[in-house]
Amino acid sequence: MTWMSALGPWQWLLLGLIPPLIILLYFLKLRRTPLEVPSTYLWTKTIEDLHVNSIWQKLRNSLLLILQLLVVLFLMLSLLRPGCQGDQLEGEHFIFMIDNSASMSATDLPSRTRLEDAKDQIRNMIDRMESDDKGMLISFSNASRVLQSYTKNKSQLKKRLNEIEQSERTTDIREALLAASALANPGRTSSREDARDFQVAEAIEAQLHIFSDGSFPNVDDFSLGNLQAEYHPIGGYETVNNVGITAFSISNDVNLTGKMQAFAQFTNAGLDDRTVNVTLYVDDEVTDARSEVAVSGQGNRAIDFDLTALVANLDTTAKIKLVIEEEDDFMLDNVAYNVVNPPRLAKVLIVTDQNPFLRMGMETERSQKVADISFESRSFLEKSDYEQNAALGLYDLVIYDQCSPKAMPECNTLFFNDKPKSEEWTLSEPLFPTRILDANTTHPVMNSLNLTKLRIANSRTIKGPKATMTLLESTAGPIMAIAPRGGFEDCVVGFPLVEYAESGELIYNTDWGSKLSFPIFLQNVLEVLAGGSRFQAMKTSKPGDLVKIRTPIPTEEVRVTGPGGVNETIKQDRDNVFVFTKSDLSGIYDVDDAKDDLAVKKFAVNLMDVAESRLAVSEKLEIGFEEIQGTEGRVPARNEYWTWLALVALAILLIEWLVYNRRVFI
Amino acid sequence: MSTASKKSPLLSPELLAQLERMELVSRKIFRGRMKGERRSKRKGQSVEFADYRNYVAGDDLRFIDWNLYARLDKLFLKLFLEEEDLHFYSLIDVSPSMMFGDPTKLQYAKQLAAALGYIGLCRSDRIKIEPIGSKQALSAPMLRGRSSLHRMVDYLESIEADQTSSLEEGIKSFALRNTGKGILVLITDLMEKSGYETALRYLVAQNMDVYVIHVLSQAEIDPDITGDLKLVDSEDGDIAEISVSQRMLDKYKSTLAQFIGGARDFCAKRNVVYMMTSTDRPVDRLVSRYLRQRGLVR
Repeated sequence: MTWMSALGPWQWLLLGLIPPLIILLYFLKLRRTPLEVPSTYLWTKTIEDLHVNSIWQKLRNSLLLILQLLVVLFLMLSLLRPGCQGDQLEGEHFIFMIDNSASMSATDLPSRTRLEDAKDQIRNMIDRMESDDKGMLISFSNASRVLQSYTKNKSQLKKRLNEIEQSERTTDIREALLAASALANPGRTSSREDARDFQVAEAIEAQLHIFSDGSFPNVDDFSLGNLQAEYHPIGGYETVNNVGITAFSISNDVNLTGKMQAFAQFTNAGLDDRTVNVTLYVDDEVTDARSEVAVSGQGNRAIDFDLTALVANLDTTAKIKLVIEEEDDFMLDNVAYNVVNPPRLAKVLIVTDQNPFLRMGMETERSQKVADISFESRSFLEKSDYEQNAALGLYDLVIYDQCSPKAMPECNTLFFNDKPKSEEWTLSEPLFPTRILDANTTHPVMNSLNLTKLRIANSRTIKGPKATMTLLESTAGPIMAIAPRGGFEDCVVGFPLVEYAESGELIYNTDWGSKLSFPIFLQNVLEVLAGGSRFQAMKTSKPGDLVKIRTPIPTEEVRVTGPGGVNETIKQDRDNVFVFTKSDLSGIYDVDDAKDDLAVKKFAVNLMDVAESRLAVSEKLEIGFEEIQGTEGRVPARNEYWTWLALVALAILLIEWLVYNRRVFI
Repeated sequence: MSTASKKSPLLSPELLAQLERMELVSRKIFRGRMKGERRSKRKGQSVEFADYRNYVAGDDLRFIDWNLYARLDKLFLKLFLEEEDLHFYSLIDVSPSMMFGDPTKLQYAKQLAAALGYIGLCRSDRIKIEPIGSKQALSAPMLRGRSSLHRMVDYLESIEADQTSSLEEGIKSFALRNTGKGILVLITDLMEKSGYETALRYLVAQNMDVYVIHVLSQAEIDPDITGDLKLVDSEDGDIAEISVSQRMLDKYKSTLAQFIGGARDFCAKRNVVYMMTSTDRPVDRLVSRYLRQRGLVR
């Protein structure tokens, strides 16, 4: 049995003060000093005369009676439990689902946020619950939390309600719905065919009250079952006034000219056209600004910033911050963060005996800027140096030209006319001639390549493991493919660039080496497979996302410090990958090596969600096949008065007591 | 109540000297029982000639004026003015309420009774002092002559505030036992819950020359009390709870004034001399000045 409280904590406090007060009054009770006098004859006459003169005299005897009647009257009234708007909630089980996603922090309501308004409404509903009703409280953003399972304790529910904090996350109601329906629609133990199968628990019908602005996608494959859903739209009573940053990315120029650009997209959620002033900070210093950026009502506007000058002398990670200076209803999307990590040379090993195409392609100035490339002969594979380095993952990419290692290295690989030793890969016998059928240019390795006019003599068709993606297809089958291997990728090219004749002469198998597409291909390989790029603009994460951090140098622990006092040490998950979970606030997070405090890298977390920035309030929700219309207006509050009446009764009782003890006065 | 005042002598030598020159005065002329020093209405055997009358058989031959018989040859009897004694009663209220004040009202009453009694003793009047309602009342001696001073003082000293019956019953008892005429002085504080009127009516009916001396202590006339008090009646233990305020004190004083005025009026209507005195007023001043003004002494 759970203790139910009808009073709030401060009301209990007030009540608790009364007994000590009565005791205090008892101590304060008039202690009359006894005094012996010859006769009280004259005094009695005096007192009586005074009484006759007093207007209260006539009431004196009946005053106590009147007070007692009043006490009883108020007690009776309080027992009647009067209240206004006293329509009771129907049902026994209530699930209050409250949205605390980023858009709920909008201040489009008079003097409070949407979340506060939702809390108020839920508080009112809790007050309206009968004493036997049970309530459950679930908060949701892109993840859900059951803050309070079914309880009759209203003050506990309210306490948990007050503890809900605003998050900066996006919205996804699905998880919350699953949590809510767990008790209402219990599943079965295993299979329905099993005769012994039974329902694990009895279904509990419940009233589901969703307090949200509804800015989340429809939930399709979900059945409410025993849940009676009611949707209370929050916000949207006034015209929304918000311009937010919905995209902010930094990237190299498409043409690889060494330029670096920052793109920002602004979205205006309001109906009226607006102009905003935008400032770009690099390491907290104003670097660029645009004034009077016009964003049309309900429209978008994109602008770009040139960061080339910044990048030219970049040697540590730069923190980029973009700020909309104007205040509006939704401040979370007025700031966007990004980081630019300094260039890091990729370490590439090319194992080849003699391949002028490869050497030529890799020795270009651009390749040298991106990667530290070393050439070794095929005999190098037998050496312990290689085995050690490959196992430790010191290379970012190893290119095997017509050879294959005994064990696959801890990095990405590219094979020419050979394949990993794994049996998952198979190569056919050489086929002649080869006709190119199609090239998959959607893959980054094949970016900007035109291979249709490529001529190849001999080639082998490739069959790879699951998830192998064909990059180049001949009439006989795939002759170039890429497949994942753990955290790495193996790319296999089914034809050699050159062949070695017995006399030692080189026989050219293809004219690819003399075409423009070959150096571009190698450049793509260096950027995509070796991770070599002139600059590293990190992809940003959303609040609440899991962030995978990969360190360039192997280490056991990293420490992540970020906004809101986040300071967490994480252990390695696998392959130098660290998983960071506490990315609840947007901003820039620093990753340090936990041992020697060396800065590893930084990453940025941004909201940048159009749905949240729109601040739209949907009038209805679509869950499964049901359409739930929002209830109109606020939830009516039940104002309880009985506690006040009881307090008044208590006060009158005290007065009565006082009158009784000081009756001479009145 | 103060033990010091209780022990002080009832009559100081100076007061005695003063009192010896005084005389109790009755507004009425009463028939005494014994020959005294007062001229009586009756003819008697004093040295003072009053009148003649015809001799009738049986008259005392000693009072025949023989000189006149020789001249007129008729027997005339010489009449002399009779000198008689005066009955003087002092009634003292010995209720517990008399034990208050400094000196106590009882002590004050004793002093007053002693002073008046001594005047009477000096004039050979018959003096009787009775505590009202006390058992001692029945053993009250009848005193006469200056030599009885010590008996009177001793008796007064022995009186205690041990009233067993009410003022009314005490006076009724006195009235039944003492039917003669004379002067009666009632010394009391009149603090009687059931009222003093009935008691006084008994005295009025005695056809005596009645004086009521109303003794109040200063604490009763001008109470010096403050705070929240529970007043306990010394006689019946009755309780009155009061919170003293100026308004209450003013009211008390006006109640007291009403009470005194009521008693004065009651007495005046019945030819009773009423006099209110405080215990602060010295007994000698009271006797020499105030009672002389009222005509009790001269």
